[in-house]
Formats: sequence, C-alpha cells, structure tokens
Amino acid sequence: MRTNTRPGPAGFLAAVLATAALLLVPASPAVAHNSLKTTTPAKNAELDKAPTEITLEFLQRLDPAFTTIVLSDAAEQKVPTGEPVVTGAEGTISIDETLANGTYTVAYRVVSADGHPVQGSYAFTVADPAGAEAPVPTPAESSPAAEATTPPTEPAAASPVAATDGGGSGTGTAAVIGGGILLVLVAGGLVLLRRRRGTA
Amino acid sequence: MTGSDPRVVSRRGLLAGGALAAGGALGATVAVTAVGSDDPATRPAEMTPVAEIGLAVEPFHGTRQAGVATEPQAHAAFVALALRPETDREALGRMLRLLSDDAARLTQGRPALADTEPELGLLPARLTVTFGFGPGFYQAANLDERRPPSVAALPALRIDRLSPHWSGGDLLLQICADDPLTVAHAQRVLVKDSRPFATVAWVQQGFRRAAGAEPGRTQRNLFGQLDGTANPKPGAPLETAVWVPDGPSWLRDSTTLVIRRISMNLETWDLLGRTDRELSVGRRLDTGAPLTGTDEHDEPDFDALGSGGLTVIPDFSHLTRSHVTEDRLRILRRPYNYDGVPGADGTADSGLIFASYQADITRQFLPIQRRLAERDLLNEWTTPIGSAVFAIPPGCPEGGWIGQQLLG
Repeated sequence: MRTNTRPGPAGFLAAVLATAALLLVPASPAVAHNSLKTTTPAKNAELDKAPTEITLEFLQRLDPAFTTIVLSDAAEQKVPTGEPVVTGAEGTISIDETLANGTYTVAYRVVSADGHPVQGSYAFTVADPAGAEAPVPTPAESSPAAEATTPPTEPAAASPVAATDGGGSGTGTAAVIGGGILLVLVAGGLVLLRRRRGTA
Repeated sequence: MTGSDPRVVSRRGLLAGGALAAGGALGATVAVTAVGSDDPATRPAEMTPVAEIGLAVEPFHGTRQAGVATEPQAHAAFVALALRPETDREALGRMLRLLSDDAARLTQGRPALADTEPELGLLPARLTVTFGFGPGFYQAANLDERRPPSVAALPALRIDRLSPHWSGGDLLLQICADDPLTVAHAQRVLVKDSRPFATVAWVQQGFRRAAGAEPGRTQRNLFGQLDGTANPKPGAPLETAVWVPDGPSWLRDSTTLVIRRISMNLETWDLLGRTDRELSVGRRLDTGAPLTGTDEHDEPDFDALGSGGLTVIPDFSHLTRSHVTEDRLRILRRPYNYDGVPGADGTADSGLIFASYQADITRQFLPIQRRLAERDLLNEWTTPIGSAVFAIPPGCPEGGWIGQQLLG
C-alpha cells in the first residue's frame, strides 16, 4: 500500500482539478450574500441639484426589519431623513430638508437572505450653482458663515467605511481571490513536484 | 491510499499518548493534593481538591429554594413530570413530602430513604433539587386561583418551532450538581419516588464548564458567546428581579422559571465570519464586551456611531434587542448547554437549555422575548424547540416539604 505514494502526471492533473473545484466551492456562499447593485444618486456623483431621496437597490430582497440607511454630511453629522421604505430589493429614504452643497456619505446595513449582515457606504456631492453657500471644487476657502457643518476639507470621496463589508464586494471579487489562491496553489504544487523529483 | 499511511497512524498514536500522559499527570497532581490537603501550606492555591468539590453542600431548607440564586453547578437535569389523572391535591401532598424528604437527604450527602445505591448518595457535590409547579399542577390540586397569573403557556411566537417532546409539564425537578453521577443518581431516586403519581414528560440534561475550571466567570454557550452577562448582580438587583417580595405564604419568596430549549445551528453559524458574529450579538466574542466597550460589563452605547454614520452596535443585535436597564425588568439567566449525538453526516445537535428566573414572566421575560422574536438577528441561527413555564414555590423549613404553603 505504501509503495504507490507518488501520483503520476495524470494523478497530479486530477489533484489540481480537484483543488480547483474545491476552491470554487467557498466562493459560492458569497453568491448567497446580498450586495449593493445600484444607487440613486450614484456613487461619487456630482449633482447640480440636491436630491430629495436616496434609493439603494440590492441584489436580494430586503427585510425592512433589518434595513438601515443613514445619511451623514462631511462633518459626520447625521442628516435628518425618514425611515427606509422597502420595496422588494430597494430601500429608499426621503431627505427632510434641502441639502446644502457639500459631500455626503450614505451608509447602509442590511441582512442577506442567509442572515449575514452586509454594510458599506459611499459618497456623493451636491454642487448646486444656485444652492446654499458652498465652495464647490476647492473646499479650502469655505465660507465660515452659515452652516457650520460645511466641510473645511473633504478627502477624496467615498472612503469606504464598512469595517465589515463582508459580502459587499460581491462575487466578482470572490472569483478573483479564488483565482489568485488557485494560481498560488498550482505554482506551489509545481515547485513541490519539481523538488520531489530533484531529491528522488 | 492514505488510510493505512503509517504517518497518520503514528500521529494519532502520539495524540492519544499525549492525552493519556496529560490525564495521568493531572490525576497524579490531584491525588497528591488530596493526600496533602491537611497541610494547606503545601496545597497549590489555584487547585480545588477533588474531595472538596464532591463533599460541598448547598442548603436544602430555607425560606427560598436553592438552585436559583445558587452559583450554577456544572451539570443539570431538568425533569418535567406529567401528573397522572388520579393525582389530586391530597396525592400531591404525599408525593411532595416524599420527594422533599429524599431531595433533602441527597443534597446533604445522605442516601435517600430507600436508596438502592446508597454509596452514590454520599457525594452531594453542591446538589440542589428545585421544584417547579406548572399550570397543570394547580389544576390537579384544584387551586387554579392560587396560580401566579404569569405562570401560563407563553403566547405563540413567530420564531417558535416547539416540539411537545420538550414542552409543558406539571411538575419540574431541576437537579443540579458539580458531579454528573450525583445528578444521575438523584434523578433516578426522584423519578422512582414520583412513579405512583406521575409519568416523565421530558428530561433535558445540560452542562457548563467543570467545577473550578473557570470560577466566577460568565458561562459560554456552544456558539462561543458569553451567556448571562446582563444578569442582575447579587444583592438588591437580584432580589428585585427574581423574588416575589410579598403576598400570601405560597407566593412570598417564590419566583418563576421559563425553560426554553433553543437549538443552535452550528452548521450555518460556521459560515459566519468573526466580525459578522460579533455584529449579530453586539458583543466581542473574546471578552464579551459590547462593541462600544472593552470590558464585559461595560455599559453598551447604542448611540455611538461608526465612521459611516451607522451605529457601532447594530439595532438588530441580540444585545440591543434584549437590553433592559431597570432591575425590576431584568431576568436571571441560568442556562445549560446541551450537545446531543451528531447525525451520521456529522450535523450537530447542539443548543442551549435556556433557564430564566424572574418574579413575573409577563413583566420581565415576555417583553424581552417579544423584542427578540421580532428582530434579533441571532434568530437566524437559533430556533426555540421547547418551552415550559413553572412557578418556583417558596422553600420549606427543616421537617417541612416543598409546596406545603400551597397544599397544606
């Protein structure tokens, strides 16, 4: 029984294929996770008119009991909005007051069909030429008056908050990661094989 | 090909040998400690001699029953009995005299009256036997007007998948001890005593860490979570939460018990990353601290926002949904883990025997349970499969019996 320890080339190929198949399996739970599909306003959008509501569309149906959408201004102050209204895979919040010019962050926390929490955030900018005081392109010289919440500086939009953007990245990323691991593994296998041959 | 690989075999052998060696070393240490225990100077302070665990006694007689505020023992059997139709008030009195007498003996390290294995009655290991009266008990005694109003089947909850095999019961015997053999013997004795009066409805056996393994620590469930952090502290908070302060003699110094058998799906829980687990619970797995704190007993800050404007502790977390601040609304959780035999494919049969004591089920337990049923994300991995409620009547003085204030 012990004699047959080294697989032939066919055996090695089979092992690689089996490993590849195994590697593809862990990617599948990611498919089951919910993730953000499209948003209105869009990610990193520059709007010349302040939006009155925000709609996030996800891949899966949302459970209203587990859907949170919040809006913050550049000073990380919460902007008053309504509770999320959920229709199918879409969640919408209405914005109570007209947004002043500036950059805003939308953060969401929802739950996948399998119970996995998914959270993330993105930014958009309101730059209404006729809008409330606001330095549009260069926030360096912001008028100190009026709305104290106006940001002095806003770092490159959309610093993704989500400490745990678990499934937020979606299948594409998982496939890429899976592919990367596979590549490393195959390379490792080849090196090992070569070493074995060398020492045999 | 690999089945007979000698390397695998030898690794296994090594592991087994290592475990044996470790066990032997431990046994030797314990033996030495026990022998030398008359000289405290030579005794390692951190190790409790085995004999002390076996001989430790909890009181049986008193104004309140033991097994509620008692520091939880390592092992428990919850035995629910269904009264026979002919068991009336008078028969209940006879039954409880018998059970109380044998329970008193066994808890004090004396064999039961007609103990068939008297040697098994000599190590009480902090044995407590706590009696509970279900709604059917009051009916059988024709004393339903004396039933605490909140002692009634819980309203149907959306999350429940209750099985009759784990639900209901007229008389509960909660048997707890730091030694599983002591629990088994007490269960055998008391079930034999009750045979003329009742049949066994269900038995739930559970465990926590071994005695002395982690003294004074909150217990962990099989999800790895600390379980019972928010319990009322001993003293005034526990008094307020657990014990009925006044009323007629059969209510004063009583409490109530809700037992829920909660199946925990380890298979799907396994698929959850550590961060997601902590978001579901609202606490860190290692320390049990709320996500806004560093220590297990830090007060959670539900308003604290993360950088995106989301609350640090999700509003659907178990912590958020179960949180109460007033002592009169708290419940005393005294849960035990259960771990059945896995299926042929390895699927675990694990969960929690959730035991909750409170002065009033309607005032304390139900609001928390309703909030959890409505929105606790942990429901995704947990399923209540059994449910039972009991009044825990007051204790009895020496020579008395449990239930004498109600039936006597």
